[in-house]
Amino acid sequence: MDTGLKDKVVMITGATRNHGRASALAFAGEGANLLLCTRQSMDLLEETASMAAESGVKVVTGQCDVSSEADVDAFVNMGLSEFGRIDVLVNNAVWRVRESLLELDDEKWGAALAVNVDALFLTCKAVLPGMTQNQWGRIINYSGIAPFRGVVGQGTLKMAVEGFTRAVAKEYGRFNITANCVGPGSIEVVRTPGQESSPHEIAAALDIPVPRQGTVEECSALAVFLASAQASYITGQAYLVNGGAHFL
Amino acid sequence: MQTGLEGKTVLVTEVARNLGMATALAFAAEGANLVLGSLDGGELLEQAAHEAAASGAKVVTASCDTGDEGQVRELARKALAEFGSIEVLVNNALLPVEPLPLDQLSFQTWKRKIGVELRGAMLVCQAVVPSMVERRWGRVINFAGLAAFNGDDPISSTAELGMIGLTRGIAREYGKFNITANCICPGGVEDPGAGEGLVYPPSDGDPLPRWGRGGEVGFLAVSLASEDAGYLTGQCLLPNGGKFFL
Repeated sequence: MDTGLKDKVVMITGATRNHGRASALAFAGEGANLLLCTRQSMDLLEETASMAAESGVKVVTGQCDVSSEADVDAFVNMGLSEFGRIDVLVNNAVWRVRESLLELDDEKWGAALAVNVDALFLTCKAVLPGMTQNQWGRIINYSGIAPFRGVVGQGTLKMAVEGFTRAVAKEYGRFNITANCVGPGSIEVVRTPGQESSPHEIAAALDIPVPRQGTVEECSALAVFLASAQASYITGQAYLVNGGAHFL
Repeated sequence: MQTGLEGKTVLVTEVARNLGMATALAFAAEGANLVLGSLDGGELLEQAAHEAAASGAKVVTASCDTGDEGQVRELARKALAEFGSIEVLVNNALLPVEPLPLDQLSFQTWKRKIGVELRGAMLVCQAVVPSMVERRWGRVINFAGLAAFNGDDPISSTAELGMIGLTRGIAREYGKFNITANCICPGGVEDPGAGEGLVYPPSDGDPLPRWGRGGEVGFLAVSLASEDAGYLTGQCLLPNGGKFFL
């Protein structure tokens, strides 16, 4: 299938590992050039960049705190001056909250809202004018399965992400810009120490229609499809990659 | 209908807007005690308290910016000091902001509205739910709206769908304490406090082509809080004249 992504420019936030790295490699595999950022580990980001560059695409990296308006504007401007355009935005940077209602203090909740939700506002606001001018664009936000399980912190954040996605879809559809969510279920990923999947979570993944955890590649495949030329009439939706753990 | 709400305490975070007054009056009619907050406080809050008290309810008021942790704690403290418990929480804080397209929205406005509505709802739940846990009984009623479903206005759709996520989270985490959490998502209901925020006037294409009435939303809130609604949790009710089918 020709996805029409060759030579397009794809910006991916949080591209150091897991979903971010997998999407970088998947888009590079389609011949898209990449604009990658992270707030933290530039070493890991450079590793992703050199893996992606093996596909023969141009990769530009930068450090960016996606919850900072100044950082996002500077990073997007840098990307625009390197490539002249940004066609696809993949919002993958996340800050996972695992706390229950009473454990989640306001400082942590504020930080989680900043990275998971404010970041979408800032990145979209920065890239949409260019997409509008080009009359073509794709926004892909990562949501998740928490809203369907019912989880105070994560579920709130991820549904907020889907709400924002709907608003972008509604406002920018007339410019041939679509916005959708990829909602991973229980996925095998490398976790920050202290944030690992619990044995309960891994056991629960065996009790679903596809009885295993998913892979990040199974999620990035959806991201690539949603960004492709073929997905031009799909917008404002959230697609779940969860082995049938929840039926929408 | 026996709602079992007589003598229970109901906290409404925003009485001056977002159908808070209609909701408070519906609870007052059931003999509930009221704790009424409002972002603006002042005259509107006093007027609301006066109207509610006229129906015989005991009323406590406090101005409260739900985006401010200290003020939220103070509201809950005042409620508990006066009535000893809070059985029903109505999370309907709303900052009316003119709906603007994304490219005209400032980050400052975004932060402020998300702060009052979404960040604040979490703070309010944290301050109030422990009292419900103690009594092994509680009803959390969160207000979202039509924007959650149809994507109108970037901040509203983000905050409102987020509220639905929070509702499900509370439902999951606190069901074992006999606490339910549900969402009311009005659309096209007449609201004297709408200000310059989102409104949905009736259209000929609506299944019910008229304005909704505040009392119709108050009825839903009372129903959700009543004893016999105890097996309904994590759900959304959409009083919107059929403008959107879930």
